[in-house]
Amino acid sequence: MRNTMLFYSLLFICSSAIFGQDDLMEELNLETKKIVTFNLPAFKAMKIGNLQSTKVGGKGDLYLYVSHRFGPLKDGFDTFFGLDNANTKIQLAYSFWEGIQLSISRESYNRTLAGALKFLLAKQSNKFPLTIAGYSTININTLLDENNFPELKSSDRFSYANQLLISRRFSENFSFELAPSYVRQNVQNLNIVSEARHNQFAMGFGGRVKMSKRMSLNAEYIYNLSRPENSPFSDAFAVGVDIETGGHVFQLLFTNAQSTNEPAFISYAEGDVVFGFNIVRVF
Amino acid sequence: MKKALFILLLTLSYSSFSQKYFTRTGNTNFKASVAVFEPIEATNNSTSVLLNTETGALVAQLFMTAFQFRVALMQEHFNENYMDSYKYPKAIFKGELSNFNLLKVNEKEKHTLTGILTIRGITKEIKTTAFLKKENNTLFLKATFIVSPKDFKIEIPAIVEKKIAENIEVSINYTLNEKE
Repeated sequence: MRNTMLFYSLLFICSSAIFGQDDLMEELNLETKKIVTFNLPAFKAMKIGNLQSTKVGGKGDLYLYVSHRFGPLKDGFDTFFGLDNANTKIQLAYSFWEGIQLSISRESYNRTLAGALKFLLAKQSNKFPLTIAGYSTININTLLDENNFPELKSSDRFSYANQLLISRRFSENFSFELAPSYVRQNVQNLNIVSEARHNQFAMGFGGRVKMSKRMSLNAEYIYNLSRPENSPFSDAFAVGVDIETGGHVFQLLFTNAQSTNEPAFISYAEGDVVFGFNIVRVF
Repeated sequence: MKKALFILLLTLSYSSFSQKYFTRTGNTNFKASVAVFEPIEATNNSTSVLLNTETGALVAQLFMTAFQFRVALMQEHFNENYMDSYKYPKAIFKGELSNFNLLKVNEKEKHTLTGILTIRGITKEIKTTAFLKKENNTLFLKATFIVSPKDFKIEIPAIVEKKIAENIEVSINYTLNEKE
């Protein structure tokens, strides 16, 4: 019996010499298990369509966003399926610090100036299942005319949106996001909305399916929980594709909202389907 | 009793072969730049390396996603579009330093390092000269070698082909300490 033991011990000595590299690798595997490895981002661009994604640009990266939303497709050939009427937005986003992105923008819809802040709270890794980001934006409607609204205060031009963006990349090709949102509208035009709802809550859902290394299919829907029953506005949605070509991402999409700013498309999506695109360029 | 003896023998037999040097913060760098175009290079500062000083066997692994680039987006493209890091998260090296003797390291600076590098599940034989130095209980290991994207069947689209070097220089710089 003792001899058998000795035999096994000898065998072990020999085997560890012969298979030394494999044993060594096993030992190294145990060590690397302790290392935290972060997942790759759940989305290619800062937006899924209209809805913000959990992606935040790297420190020192400057992003230029050019977005167009055309007129309703149902206008047909008269406006060449909406192409005669475009809402244009130009946005610059920059990260002075890792995980914090600041942006400024101007869009034609209500001649809106906007500033936004997005910050990463957690990153999906082998130790934590979700990427979580906060997003906050202030919009200034510069179209409101004091001649038409004599009692207009400057604060009436402001609207805000605050969102928590929670995403998970379930697999290489599938990512999903939830976006509980709070929107503040300082002024509501009672000629248009039946009753004033200055504080609105909404839940955004978004996802993407990668079809190839450089292309993905994206979809989103934002359910507004505070919409009055006979509201003329709809819940916003967007369906589109991302096409990435090195430093650019092209997002071609169909949506039912004219505006690409959160306070506007969450509260005031018109409901008519329009074609639009975002072009993202990183410098 | 017999069991105890067995375990004792096992421990003894194992420990006689288990003098090892180790790091979890090894530096691995590659340069794939082409003159004129924007520099493409990255550094990984969390390479794990384990050296058996009895046999000279050396193994190393690193996570592809831990390579840091000058531009964050470059890092994302490297992982998503070229290295398939979701499917193949690690690069692995299994090899050995020939005629390695811990006590005589400082007598001969150059050692031949040979082994198998596995990236994207594809293997390539590596042979290079490693420079070794020992100070107290620390072992310094440096080497460079050349790999090509073709070696690992990395597809490069025609439009960026000219911007990525055909021969990529990999430099390793590891500071190993005795493993307890």
